[in-house]
Amino acid sequence: MESTHTKIRTTSIHKAFYENGAHLSALAGVDFHASDREFVSIIGPSGCGKSTLLNIIAGLDQPDAGSVELYGATTAQRLGSVGYMQQKDLLMPWRSVLDNCILGLEIQGVPRGEARTRARALLAPFGLEGFEGYLPHALSGGMRQRAAFLRTVLLDHDVVLLDEPFGALDALTRSHMQSWLLGLREDLKKTIVLVTHDVDEAVLLSDRVYVLTASPGTVRTVAEVKLPKPRSMEMVGDSAFVKLKLELLSALGSLGSRVR
Amino acid sequence: MKGPTGMNDVERAPGPYAAPRVGAGIRTSLVRWAPVAVIAIAAVGIWEAVVALEDIPNWKLPAPSAIADALWGDRGDLARHTWVTLKEVLIGFGIALGAGLLLATLIHMSRTMERVIYPPAIASQTLPIIVIAPLLLAWVGYGLQHKVVVVALISFFPILVNTVDGLRSTDGDLLNLMRALGANRWQMFIKAQVPHGLPYMFSGIKIAVTASVIGAVVGEWVGSSEGLGYLALRSKSQFLTERVYAAIFLLGVMGVVLFLAAGLAQRVLVPWHGRQRGGPNT
Ligand SMILES: Nc1ncnc2c1ncn2[C@@H]1O[C@H](COP(=O)(O)OP(=O)(O)O)[C@@H](O)[C@H]1O
Ligand SMILES: [Mg+2]
Repeated sequence: MESTHTKIRTTSIHKAFYENGAHLSALAGVDFHASDREFVSIIGPSGCGKSTLLNIIAGLDQPDAGSVELYGATTAQRLGSVGYMQQKDLLMPWRSVLDNCILGLEIQGVPRGEARTRARALLAPFGLEGFEGYLPHALSGGMRQRAAFLRTVLLDHDVVLLDEPFGALDALTRSHMQSWLLGLREDLKKTIVLVTHDVDEAVLLSDRVYVLTASPGTVRTVAEVKLPKPRSMEMVGDSAFVKLKLELLSALGSLGSRVR
Repeated sequence: MKGPTGMNDVERAPGPYAAPRVGAGIRTSLVRWAPVAVIAIAAVGIWEAVVALEDIPNWKLPAPSAIADALWGDRGDLARHTWVTLKEVLIGFGIALGAGLLLATLIHMSRTMERVIYPPAIASQTLPIIVIAPLLLAWVGYGLQHKVVVVALISFFPILVNTVDGLRSTDGDLLNLMRALGANRWQMFIKAQVPHGLPYMFSGIKIAVTASVIGAVVGEWVGSSEGLGYLALRSKSQFLTERVYAAIFLLGVMGVVLFLAAGLAQRVLVPWHGRQRGGPNT
């Protein structure tokens, strides 16, 4: 019962890199878990191993020590079992928006026609209706990022990993994207892991927030976000929101030297 | 307003991806090419005037009008020789394209293949073609095949090198993403690396088509009884200088036409190129 409810569980993950003879510890014992349909954010100083953790969960990399359990099974062969999206949209410039969206399905062997039909059904909620025939270069940054997101969630995987998906966008577009994702969150019915450096974003969207320590990454604290749902952008002013945000900022160690 | 409206979103894409209107296309072409035409006509006029005023003998430098006369007067012969050379160029280039792409794929797929293929491929380019061409005569004989081999030898290399670079320069993050989505090596090759490499391949092709014409002429000089290169050589020994120039003119036209054809093919097959950041500068 428990194992089907928990979609991701990492136990004491260690990971080090060796570069020009130097040993660099990126993760030093990270316990992480996410349940079915849970939205979990990970925040932490840059270089603390957030992307490394996602790479390991996705199966792009293997931990030196510790185990990764995905959908209740511990296996080294995890490639192709989660949706994955990065800061760079990585859209193929030679493919139309629609054909970019179906890349994952195509890789899985779904016939193009059927894949396109499934993608078309999602164009409207992703704000891409009417743009499916465009090449990516003609789209704004926010639209490109939504196309990349559509490509990610179009797969039937229950788990979606988002690595700073809005990190490259300007502040205004980013807040549009956040409120859009907020509206979409419940409908997606997915387990979402979001890496972000935006504490507001983490609190607003998440059920739980992991704060990692600076390199090598370990879990400093995990905070439950007990704000009522459905959430809205206006909640950033609520006292509960502000209180949690201050807690997280202080866990990040960024309160003493406030720059933002 | 093109594009859908009513999105409750501040961002909106620029105009749709559509071909420019034909009328506007012709007008911009006119504006773009008019200065070129003016300069070309002026250059030819000055050439004609200098030859007439300085009384330069025909064997030294024929006037453009004399060359034009030769072009028209010998049109039957010239057409026949042009066709011979064009055939050598096209067949040789075709082989170069096939070989270049095949070798590039092998090099891309395996480091061992790279070590096996690259050294002899590079060596074949460092030796002057004019030295190798006579040796090839002994190997493949005197006919069309000799010229074709020389053309292929000189033009496969730019295709090979550019295509390898193109296949290799695919964004590693994109390949990682595909891997995370479960792609195998073949899918990454076909869906990402090949399309990414296409513009690079075309850079190689553009160099190769012009080199092909040189290759055909060199082959004909070493041993042939037909083709524009042969005709130029023979006409020189017969002091028919204006026909030498006529042959050179036709070789130049051939090179330009092939280059433009390659550019056209690129625009049809790689329409996204030049509309994005990155990629080779061509
Ligand atoms: N493939 C790699 N080779 C060497 N070092 C790496 C590699 N990937 C990540 N690192 C190092 O591991 C640390 C954590 O990186 P990363 O997970 O990208 O951090 P974050 O995403 O939190 O900013 C960094 O110091 C980074 O330089
Ligand atoms: Mg990162």
